[in-house]
Amino acid sequence: MEYHHTTEMNGVVTKYLNMCIQCKQNDLCREQKDSKDSVDTNKLPRIENAYSTILSELGENVDRDGLRRTPLRAAKAMQFLTKGYKETTRDILNDAIFDENHEEMVIVKDIDLFSLCEHHLVPFFGKAHIAYLPNKKVVGLSKLARIVEIYSRRLQVQERLTKQIASAISEALEPTGVAVVIEAAHMCMVMRGVQKMNASTVTSVMLGKFQDDPKTRKEFLDLTLRK
Amino acid sequence: MNGLCSDPVEEFNCNKAFSDLIMENKKTAAIFKHEKSRKEAEDKIRLPTLEAAYTSILRDLGEDTDRQGLLRTPLRAARAMQFLTKGYHETIDDILNNAIFDEDHDEMVIVKDIDMFSLCEHHLVPFFGKVHIGYIPNKKVVGLSKLARIVEIFSRRLQVQERLTKQIAVGISEALQPKGVAVVIEAAHMCMVMRGVQKMNSRTVTSTMLGIYLEDPKTREEFLTLSQTA
Repeated sequence: MEYHHTTEMNGVVTKYLNMCIQCKQNDLCREQKDSKDSVDTNKLPRIENAYSTILSELGENVDRDGLRRTPLRAAKAMQFLTKGYKETTRDILNDAIFDENHEEMVIVKDIDLFSLCEHHLVPFFGKAHIAYLPNKKVVGLSKLARIVEIYSRRLQVQERLTKQIASAISEALEPTGVAVVIEAAHMCMVMRGVQKMNASTVTSVMLGKFQDDPKTRKEFLDLTLRK
Repeated sequence: MNGLCSDPVEEFNCNKAFSDLIMENKKTAAIFKHEKSRKEAEDKIRLPTLEAAYTSILRDLGEDTDRQGLLRTPLRAARAMQFLTKGYHETIDDILNNAIFDEDHDEMVIVKDIDMFSLCEHHLVPFFGKVHIGYIPNKKVVGLSKLARIVEIFSRRLQVQERLTKQIAVGISEALQPKGVAVVIEAAHMCMVMRGVQKMNSRTVTSTMLGIYLEDPKTREEFLTLSQTA
């Protein structure tokens, strides 16, 4: 949603506000749409009940002020964090594939990534770096980040996540090569278990020319991982 | 004990006092161990219900609970949750372990950059960051790691950052009765980063100042300068 300074807008406030109201009514505000879409109202009560049980089994008082609506919020949060199951690459690519006479490396790096460890249901997060060598077809750059979102908003294992991102790009664009590197910190290792604060896990998948040609791979790694 | 107790009667009393001390410490340790194992047993009893709750959550999210990666996830998630909320079972008396020493020191003591991990009580999603603690002893100093352990007790719970800061400060205050206590927490909240507004770099800072830190601005300033510098 946008933030308005009335003093700056002066006479056009009413007109602008009306535009925003119309925008909302016509479902054009994507951010709100995204978060509302993830809520599956059918399953919500059951997940809420499960969370109430969990809270009381952990020894907490479910009726105290801070926890009263927590089962509902936690259930909605969990649904948001696993919304990737409902999305497919085809939906989000939105036909943003363009014919372009370009065959040099395209890299989108430092894509913030947040996922859930499927073993402990605790977050892991980090950065994804993606590169591809177009084969006359380039994709809208934000779409690479959206592909990361689809696969990361699920119960994941970092190895599988990396591979899924690489395969999805490969299938959608049929490029000459795809490379994906993910570097993440796993809260299941940091907050519990071994409790190593600074450990991070790096996984990579190289397809096509990135796999065959060491020079291409080196170029990608140099351009991406250099600080 | 060598050479300290020369008189036999005195030596007997000396040794007795020493062995009394050992016995007292052993008793406290034994009580602590007993409490710990009782709480572990209690945790174990609650595990199946937690597991069942997690299994139903996984299914309702649309996952297949029979696939290999998820087979033991309800158990692991339940255990992880119990670990992340173990602070409910612990009290300051337990962990202080009589590590309070008489010391003629009344200058500021700061323990900073204590890593802290907690769970947001509103969304059950982690928040984590660093805690900086300062206190001015009133002839009683505490073992330094005990400050970090106090942070652990209160952070391993379903928390709100404001309350966590206050509980740590009040906990130290009650245990040591110092001239002043200052606690500053800077944390990132995953409920704001991973979902909702999704602001990656936002941080929340809360502080509690008690005693001389509240009254005297210069003391507060000294603490803030020393704890914030790298």
